[in-house]
Amino acid sequence: MGRMLLKRGWDGLIVILGVTVVVFVITRMIGDPVDIMLPLEATEEQRAAFEAQLGLDRPIVVQFVNYVWDLTRFDFGNSLWLDRPALDIVFERLPITLLLVISSIVLATVIAIPLGIIAALNPGSFIDRITVILSLVALSLPQFWLGLLLIVLFSVTLSWLPTGGIGGLSHLVLPAVTLALPAMTRLVMVVRSQMIDELNAQYIKTTEAKGLSQFRIVGVHAMRNAAVPVLTLVAWEFIRILSGYTVVVETVFAWPGLGLLALQAIQRQDLVLLQAIVFVIAVIVVVFNFGVDVIYKAIDPRIKLD
Amino acid sequence: MHARWSFRALALAAALTATGPVWAQEIAIAIGSEPTTLDPQLRDDGGERAITDNIFETLLFRDADGTLRPSLAASMPVQVDETTWEVDLRDGVSFHNGEPFNADAAAFSVNRIIDPEFNSEQSSFFASITGATAVDGDTIHITTDGPDPILPARLYWMKMVPPGAADSEDFASNPVGTGPYQFVDWNRGSSIELAANPDYWGEAPSIQDVEFRFISEFGTRLSSLLSGETDLITNLLPEFVGQVPRAVAVSGLELPIVILNADDGPTADARVRQALNMAIDHEALAESLFAGYADVAQGQLMAPSFFGFNPDIPGYSYDPDRARELISEAGAEGAEIELVGTAGRWLKDREMIEVIASYWEDIGVQPNVRIFEFGEYLNRLFDRETRADAIFVVSSNELLDADRPLSAYYHLDGIGASNTDEEMANWIVEARSETDVDAREALYHQALERAYDEAYFAFLLNINDIYGTSERLQWEPRVDAKLLVSTMSVE
Repeated sequence: MGRMLLKRGWDGLIVILGVTVVVFVITRMIGDPVDIMLPLEATEEQRAAFEAQLGLDRPIVVQFVNYVWDLTRFDFGNSLWLDRPALDIVFERLPITLLLVISSIVLATVIAIPLGIIAALNPGSFIDRITVILSLVALSLPQFWLGLLLIVLFSVTLSWLPTGGIGGLSHLVLPAVTLALPAMTRLVMVVRSQMIDELNAQYIKTTEAKGLSQFRIVGVHAMRNAAVPVLTLVAWEFIRILSGYTVVVETVFAWPGLGLLALQAIQRQDLVLLQAIVFVIAVIVVVFNFGVDVIYKAIDPRIKLD
Repeated sequence: MHARWSFRALALAAALTATGPVWAQEIAIAIGSEPTTLDPQLRDDGGERAITDNIFETLLFRDADGTLRPSLAASMPVQVDETTWEVDLRDGVSFHNGEPFNADAAAFSVNRIIDPEFNSEQSSFFASITGATAVDGDTIHITTDGPDPILPARLYWMKMVPPGAADSEDFASNPVGTGPYQFVDWNRGSSIELAANPDYWGEAPSIQDVEFRFISEFGTRLSSLLSGETDLITNLLPEFVGQVPRAVAVSGLELPIVILNADDGPTADARVRQALNMAIDHEALAESLFAGYADVAQGQLMAPSFFGFNPDIPGYSYDPDRARELISEAGAEGAEIELVGTAGRWLKDREMIEVIASYWEDIGVQPNVRIFEFGEYLNRLFDRETRADAIFVVSSNELLDADRPLSAYYHLDGIGASNTDEEMANWIVEARSETDVDAREALYHQALERAYDEAYFAFLLNINDIYGTSERLQWEPRVDAKLLVSTMSVE
């Protein structure tokens, strides 16, 4: 276990380092933040002065060495746009995003698993077909459009829920549902097909022959075997939502999390803030994946972790 | 069972709707971007201005129609010699934290924003100012590096800050001004709250509390107005004017234009440049893309509210036949004209570029539209060596004075100029230090007329700022695009 931890830690470090290097290179390729920040009519001297203040006039190699050196002390420097320590800003927004991401993944899982099982118990039935069709429809909806549609229905027409922002539970409902829906539909499909496979396996015939209740057969024996691929997908959805879908959904719902922040950082070419956001998300993804591996082992002792 | 559920749903709905702005003295405003800072002297940022315009004040102020008048100054500044302006300050004004607003505070504010160490993004507005000194308790002298007739217009842009609080670390997140509203709270990423200043020196505002919400996505901003969560939204798209309870519009500060290369390529021939102007049906452009919420530009990069506007320039009218004649006279049939632009930066930028290109195609030239990502686009706009034949740009003129657009786009050394007209450049430089108002205006009229005759640009439209408001909100939008809550009221 100790050796395994060390190896995993090392792998994770390589991933995080790789990501930070790539981000450093890409952010410096996409353009000059000074041009974006100053008014169009600013003179060349003003642009040069601003560039010097941000340290962007130094050779790229020097910038990179400084960047890596600062990174070893978790110092990303001040956001160019907000002029506060970038990491502070990221940690302000992180819990807000995690609340949304966790709510949506829980929502998706809690609905998808029973739905998938019900569909699998009666393949080809009316309920199965409806589930499959609805899943395909929901999967085809672009999220920004779905979000706006939900706003028009539940906020504008029915006045039940706020259009956006944060506040009480009511503010969480629409963005969480919007994020959960595509994940949920993919989960339903996987749960359904896994359960159909398991329910047709020989060992299920044995449990039936032993006279076990339907509940035990499905809930304990088949579920446990289907759990590994389902967990893989849940983990994958979590990462997709955290590192991608939140950008769109947080923007639509004015949810002040990391996704919205990342979009704004890109629009303003805030290299520093962008680096901090990507770094923190990379760390979360690495740690999270490690946690998932440990759970695999708990579910299926045959899985080897090294 | 069913009855009980629907009762619960109703109760839930009632509880949720009760969270909106319910009492009359409180409003919510949705703006597109969050302020980067609330230090009003540091950044050049629309989100910051929307908030700090209500917290801070300037020595001079503009009426809704753009006329300058004293605000924290007691009277209009007086020029005491070539390079010195004297400003008398209003008595008895203090900042929200109790610091007095006096000559020391005013001089401090001027010297702070021009300090190279401070490196304000707004410094381009104050490039001529060399310093300020307190003469006595309520008078200051502002010195300039040469005669600067635009100084009053510049002062309208410079917010006064308290020397004590401005030096503290948290000034950017806890701003203290003299204005009608004071800072209450900033929920990072989502909203800022302000409350009426009970000790305001001027007329007490009618709105007591205001919440500014940051909603970048247009559809959500619109929905927040439709659902009654907000009373005012900015940047309403023209095609949605019919859907909001009320839409108000005003001639804006954003002027789109196409810079034509007067030195090289097919556009070096003035006849071609004139033809490119005559090719464009401005009325149709305003109607089809902006639902009529745009005025046809009068042959200049100026709106009628700007100082120096030349009302005698007629503007090129739509005449495709004459344009085709000019093109053939110039021997430019089928000439390729590179039209550079960007997408998503300004309202309908790509659409405008595409419509212009199709008009140009109609008169027998070959427009080659090249849309770049904004950073790359700026590289082309600022490239002094190789100028594209035609560059689309939107100029924003917050000073409401001819100097800024003319220095940037007309003067041959301007960041976006594509001509080498030395005579016109000299007029612009001369006007910059001409202190006689009429003589200065005459110089601008002359320069604008030259650029019109020579068609250094393809003139387009003056886009209106459109706001959506709730039924209850009473407010007239301003030509300088400021969202002054003190000028709002609710029924």
